Amino acid sequence: MNQNDKLITGQTWLGVVGVLFAMLLLANQTNELLKQIVIAPGSAAEMGMAADCRADELAEEGLSLQECRLMVSSVQIILASSPPWFRPFQIGLSLLVCGVALASMVAGFGLVNDSPRFIKLGVISFSLLVLLDVAAFTAALNTGPVLRAQYLWPLLLWFFIHLCLAMAALNVMQRESRA
Amino acid sequence: MEQERLPKITVILHWVLASSVFFLFVSSWWMLSLPLPSAEFTYRVLPFQLHKNIGITLLLIAVTMAAIRIAKGSNGHPKNPDRLQKLAALDHLIMYFLLAACCLSGYLSSSYSGWETSFWWILNLPAWAQENDDLNILFSGLHLWSCWALLAVIVLHIGAAIYHGIADDGLINKMFRL
Repeated sequence: MNQNDKLITGQTWLGVVGVLFAMLLLANQTNELLKQIVIAPGSAAEMGMAADCRADELAEEGLSLQECRLMVSSVQIILASSPPWFRPFQIGLSLLVCGVALASMVAGFGLVNDSPRFIKLGVISFSLLVLLDVAAFTAALNTGPVLRAQYLWPLLLWFFIHLCLAMAALNVMQRESRA
Repeated sequence: MEQERLPKITVILHWVLASSVFFLFVSSWWMLSLPLPSAEFTYRVLPFQLHKNIGITLLLIAVTMAAIRIAKGSNGHPKNPDRLQKLAALDHLIMYFLLAACCLSGYLSSSYSGWETSFWWILNLPAWAQENDDLNILFSGLHLWSCWALLAVIVLHIGAAIYHGIADDGLINKMFRL
């Protein structure tokens, strides 16, 4: 491999950190997808059915009776706080974020191996993640206080993580083009 | 530093395994907050079935990776490893052990709970154990603690990967190259 086929700046760390955060984001978003699929409108909790808290189950799970009842309440709270557009929006957004997270993982692989052709993919994918974080933040902002409390702070953290990665990738790209 | 290449399948399995482990952790913390199961409250059915399916698949992946490692030998590893290299080898060994312990104890706990396991909704695994609350609680505890220990070892593993990534010493490149 000649020098032109390798990154001069050697941003292995950016690749490793990018892949790590991509994996964490993938886990987070697939779980969000699962959440939206499982906690569906019209399910038992929303219909006001009483929690089934058998003593043997409580002992097995190490739960109090109150905790068992509150588990149903927490589902009711989520359903009651979600505007009708929120669930389909979250499902679509999570799928999109998973796709871009996979692309950023590929970019991270390329950066670790000093492949110049992956820098652009890194800049694009990290920037797209920043935009998707903004979209998710805006959506959460337009729900009620319960979902805002649940979503806004983690989204702000992800936003800054992706902003750092996007700026670092942009910096690598600029230094490479100057070199 | 140019390193020897790992088989493509090893690299792919490593990343599938890593991503799945993170998903299992985050989803298990969430799914245990769902209402306890009953005829009406079925919120736990999909997450638990998915959890078991991924866990069993992970065990198969870990066994495959270990088999590849044994078959290929320890090419590229130093003949006289220093203290850190010995620790890294031990970390890998413990990680494989804990991953297997975590998956097996989870499967055993599920078996003794009386819940059926349908492997990816295709194959119904035989219910080879009778429902037994004591054994369910025992294996559930083992599952919990082996998974916490696994998380601790994974943190060490990732910490070392970040260290070598920042040092840019070429040590981790083989796991990022297809």
